[in-house]
Amino acid sequence: MRSRISHRRRRNISFPQRRSMAAQNNQEHTLGNLLREKARIVEIDGEEGFDYAEHDTNELNGVPFPGSHLKQTVTGVSIVPHYLQTATRNLVHDDLQTVTSETQAKTTAECLPYVTGKDTQGLALNSHGLPHLRRKAHAEYLRGFLGELPAGYAAMDASRPWLFYWCIAGLSFLGEDVSEYRERLMETVRPLQNASGGFGGGHGQFSHCACSYATILALTAVEGLEVVDRKAMWHWLGQVKQADGGFRMAVGAEEDIRGAYCAMTIITLLNLPLELPPEAHARGAGLQTFTDRLGEWVGRCQTFEGGIAGAPTNEAHGAYAFCALACLSILDTPHVSIPRYLDTQALVRWLASMQTVAEGGFAGRTNKLVDACYSHWVGGCWSLLQAAFSQSSATRDDFAAVTELEPSELWNPAALIRYLLTCCQQPGKKGGMRDKPSARPDAYHTCYSLSGLSAAQNLYIYENGITVDAESGRLTAAFNWLAQRLSPGKAMQELGIDEHDVVECVHPVFVVTFDAVMRAKEQFAKGGL
Amino acid sequence: MGKYSEDPKWSDIDPLPTDEGGPNPLAAIAYAEDYEETMSYLRAVMAANELSPRVLELTEDLIDMNPAHYTVWLYRSKCLFHLHSDLHEELEWLNETALQHQKNYQIWHHRLTIVDALGEECDVQGEQEFVARMFEKDAKNYHVWSYRQWLVKRFQLWEKGELEFTEKMLEEDVRNNSAWNHRWYVVNGREAEGVKGVTDPEIREREIKYAEAAIAKAPQNQSPWNYVRGIRKASGTELAALKPLAERYASVERPGTVRSSFALDLLVDILSEESGGKQQAGKALDLLATTYDPIRKNYWAYRKSQLGLGSIETAATA
Repeated sequence: MRSRISHRRRRNISFPQRRSMAAQNNQEHTLGNLLREKARIVEIDGEEGFDYAEHDTNELNGVPFPGSHLKQTVTGVSIVPHYLQTATRNLVHDDLQTVTSETQAKTTAECLPYVTGKDTQGLALNSHGLPHLRRKAHAEYLRGFLGELPAGYAAMDASRPWLFYWCIAGLSFLGEDVSEYRERLMETVRPLQNASGGFGGGHGQFSHCACSYATILALTAVEGLEVVDRKAMWHWLGQVKQADGGFRMAVGAEEDIRGAYCAMTIITLLNLPLELPPEAHARGAGLQTFTDRLGEWVGRCQTFEGGIAGAPTNEAHGAYAFCALACLSILDTPHVSIPRYLDTQALVRWLASMQTVAEGGFAGRTNKLVDACYSHWVGGCWSLLQAAFSQSSATRDDFAAVTELEPSELWNPAALIRYLLTCCQQPGKKGGMRDKPSARPDAYHTCYSLSGLSAAQNLYIYENGITVDAESGRLTAAFNWLAQRLSPGKAMQELGIDEHDVVECVHPVFVVTFDAVMRAKEQFAKGGL
Repeated sequence: MGKYSEDPKWSDIDPLPTDEGGPNPLAAIAYAEDYEETMSYLRAVMAANELSPRVLELTEDLIDMNPAHYTVWLYRSKCLFHLHSDLHEELEWLNETALQHQKNYQIWHHRLTIVDALGEECDVQGEQEFVARMFEKDAKNYHVWSYRQWLVKRFQLWEKGELEFTEKMLEEDVRNNSAWNHRWYVVNGREAEGVKGVTDPEIREREIKYAEAAIAKAPQNQSPWNYVRGIRKASGTELAALKPLAERYASVERPGTVRSSFALDLLVDILSEESGGKQQAGKALDLLATTYDPIRKNYWAYRKSQLGLGSIETAATA
């Protein structure tokens, strides 16, 4: 019999849910667990027509489970999880219909045949009955965007750097070699860089935080950062830093939390001085560095719901939660900086509530619909939050001792993986990933679906270490992350994936591969301008 | 030959064609001729820092072709202010453009700049009505709500029908979380200026009653539950005051009667603050994990561990 504890986190790191060994052992020897293990063995054997409801732990324990008579028999080896069972889904249901409930019902109806495995869209299935990740097809799809694009893409003329980033990063998440794009990318971005610093969306366009962020990350991925005029970038960032602590997206443009995250990413990867340039107008308000009042400004973006808004008083939104947590994780050790500026318990409640029933993916706001891109924006928050909750220090030795991984304990990674593999992969020749089945695939959703898959599959831990480089003054907390790729075993089985479906480790703060981040760290170790 | 190269009005300009950086650019867009031409004239006038009426025409042309072009918007506003252009006219043009490009992002920042400059000359009621019209198409448009907040603050509309506006929006869809967020803003947005929101007992009472009525319409609606929790936190008042509300929709003793997982979640927090209530809170968490919200099983187990209780028990409901 397999031991239940073998697939719990086993290491000397304090995670929020870590229990004593005694409690685990106690749990392990209950009758319910013995029977559950038996049920798992049946699952592995892939018995046709296995009825999950019959083995449901509630029933095994003699619990009157409402609607348990409505057993759902599935074909194939894919087992419909508890949260997807018809009886569970319909337990609490309001009669009042509004636009929100109607669109939600429509989305659930659209996804249900796929997440329950009734319709596999002709996709090749893995050993757990879920569609395999279509690695080759998605890679080909992303490569396609890096060639010539038809005139209709003029709509993306101001966001071409995003295309470089989504495609190159997405390919690297699939384990593809992206070094072949190095020279071409360096050439392509040259006219996007302005003499006064920063990158615009295209030739002759104003510098913009998002365009600069995407360009820097794409260059990081291909080892091409020497094309960046660091000194000019430093001067330009000085112009977008605001007296209240935040950053504008461009000179004269809106101030929002993306600016804060993008600017701090650029500053840290390029090891730019933290001191504001002499001409920065924020100096007039008494600010001296890029980080002055920044944590407080990020804190002001937390709303009454617990989530994070794009700017103070706006509505809580998943993408901005990631920007906030990642920005704070650059400023300092996550368990220092995150609780200092945010109510973490309110945030974790809000983030957990974003996982939608029955789809299993994440929505971006309360009462909005599931969308694959939030697999990254919300999915990427968990490792940052877990590091925020972790009180004691992790070391490389603890990490090496991890033999079996369960990627997360605050949310439901298996449900997210199921959503991404069943609903978000475009079937047919073309490949690519999409928001939801009724949407067309695009580079944005492909990149962030893959990043979300990585968040759900691989393990990321923060290793306590140096947070400021003594010589250059660089903030180094974001370089202290360790990652472990999911290895074959129990955890894979729990997540419903095979080795073929595992994507590379994605850096929790900078959202490129770890190798790329480490190269940038080395390249600019000296700092200065 | 194109529109600009054939126009004598533009004959003094040497267009700056797109620099692709090299022979083999990545994600190179095969621009339509008119787009490429218009952009090459924009580059040229921007390089010369020309701010003139013909530049306004040029930017209008480009925005029609690509409304997501932030540079064109920023340059246009620079031009408008330099020329002391008629901003009312600009607003009229923006109205049409906004309705054509519902999802566009840049337009709202531009509008804000224009309306801010108009100041007291602005027809504020007209702005409110226009925003309301945008919500007819998408009642949760993030940028439009953000603009609406700015409008309230800029023109001090706090007590000028804004609360009624949120009521109307929530009457249409009680699950519209953006409208709930706006309500929060209208009620609490002036705390820093010393105007009390939910820290005032009367206002707090009114807001809780409003949320309670919304919950009664549809108990499994997260928005008003988040709202009452927010009130409790912002006012520093006891969560226990919400116990009757939570118990109306959730019970640990009669698990079969739970009508809202959010009520059960709230009950957990209330019970865990009561002396001797921890075990009951644990039972409520078991119910959430096993029955009423199993997708978040790991989260509920985490909450249980936070209370110093053991793991999720599947037999809790027996």
